[in-house]
Amino acid sequence: MEQLTNLIISDRELASISAVLLKLMNDTNATSAMLLDKSGQVVAVQGTGTRRNATTLGALLAGVFSSSREVAKLLDEKDFRNIFQQGVQENIYTTMVEEQWLLVIIFDKLTHIGLVKVLSKKSSDELGRTLERVRSDTTRTKSSVLNLQFRSSVEDTIDLLFRD
Amino acid sequence: MALINIATHEIHCKIVYYGIGYCGKTTNLQHVHRSIHPNARGDMLSIATETERTLFFDFLPLDLGTVHGFRTRFHLYTVPGQILYERTRLAVLNGADGIVFVADSQAEKFEENVQSIAELDMNMRRIGKDLMTFPLVMQWNKRDMPNVLPVPVLERYLNRRRVPSFEAVASDGRGVFATLRTISKNVMAQL
Ligand SMILES: Nc1nc2c(ncn2[C@@H]2O[C@H](COP(=O)(O)OP(=O)(O)OP(=O)(O)O)[C@@H](O)[C@H]2O)c(=O)[nH]1
Ligand SMILES: [Mg+2]
Repeated sequence: MEQLTNLIISDRELASISAVLLKLMNDTNATSAMLLDKSGQVVAVQGTGTRRNATTLGALLAGVFSSSREVAKLLDEKDFRNIFQQGVQENIYTTMVEEQWLLVIIFDKLTHIGLVKVLSKKSSDELGRTLERVRSDTTRTKSSVLNLQFRSSVEDTIDLLFRD
Repeated sequence: MALINIATHEIHCKIVYYGIGYCGKTTNLQHVHRSIHPNARGDMLSIATETERTLFFDFLPLDLGTVHGFRTRFHLYTVPGQILYERTRLAVLNGADGIVFVADSQAEKFEENVQSIAELDMNMRRIGKDLMTFPLVMQWNKRDMPNVLPVPVLERYLNRRRVPSFEAVASDGRGVFATLRTISKNVMAQL
């Protein structure tokens, strides 16, 4: 069971994720590229348009993706790994990175979807390798961040903020 | 699954409010949104039907600010409680770090609550988690109604695991923050 495991992203991994997103964005001429965790949390963003709304976008896009996978299961469709949302101005293409992350590309009508599909597949493979590294490197970095001091300060902050 | 971003110094955790239709999940988030310090919250997003029933989810991002160099964030979600939306609940549960089960204390809702707990247990297994060891807090809501069951009865049938529980009147804000404090601490303790 995948119980109570956290994903810990180091400087090095974030730099390589950002580089992949930037390259994908430039090569497809997209407006932005995002990497989301399947829980809806934003791992990294490139591009100007989305940054301000990134948190809300992340929650919505992950929700849409997750529910479309449930639709697929009901139809006995096993491999439902991408969705394409087509607008008048903006288009959104979302694809899975293994079973953990979602790669989201936002682009306008000047970019062809075929290019986005092909290049995002490549980027998704690269991000999959980063994910492997993130998964294999767990407890060591964690203990140094989440020390006792941190834990007791978080509890104090919770008591301070979460009250009427 | 919590996300700890060493590079950007951020920690993100996801908390999901689960329970039957009309039990007061959205009301919990609305109270938090209304009462918490504005700096500590983002905009609340509700995807609801025209009659204010949750259709997809509510979403409220909370920000504890920087604690020991780490920006700590809790993302609160509610599921849609109506029977019809079972698969949507499963989709929203994905990636949760903690769960608040909101029970409607009214006697006539008892059976539905029991079924909802059983469904939650099954849904957790579907996403590869075990509810018996997962961060979980119970909220006995609508304590202001005339026909509520006594708390010991709710405890016996809905809280076999004996996790922390709180009486609440979410529409007046009673018990809302006590519930949130406890689940937040439980989630942090599991990191
Ligand atoms: N009397 C009373 N009413 C409450 C309480 N908590 C919530 N309500 C009311 O119950 C109704 C339903 O509350 P919601 O928060 O929308 O319920 P929900 O659980 O989000 O319902 P779904 O979205 O359908 O799953 C609203 O009219 C609330 O004002 C309570 O403690 N006491
Ligand atoms: Mg609701």
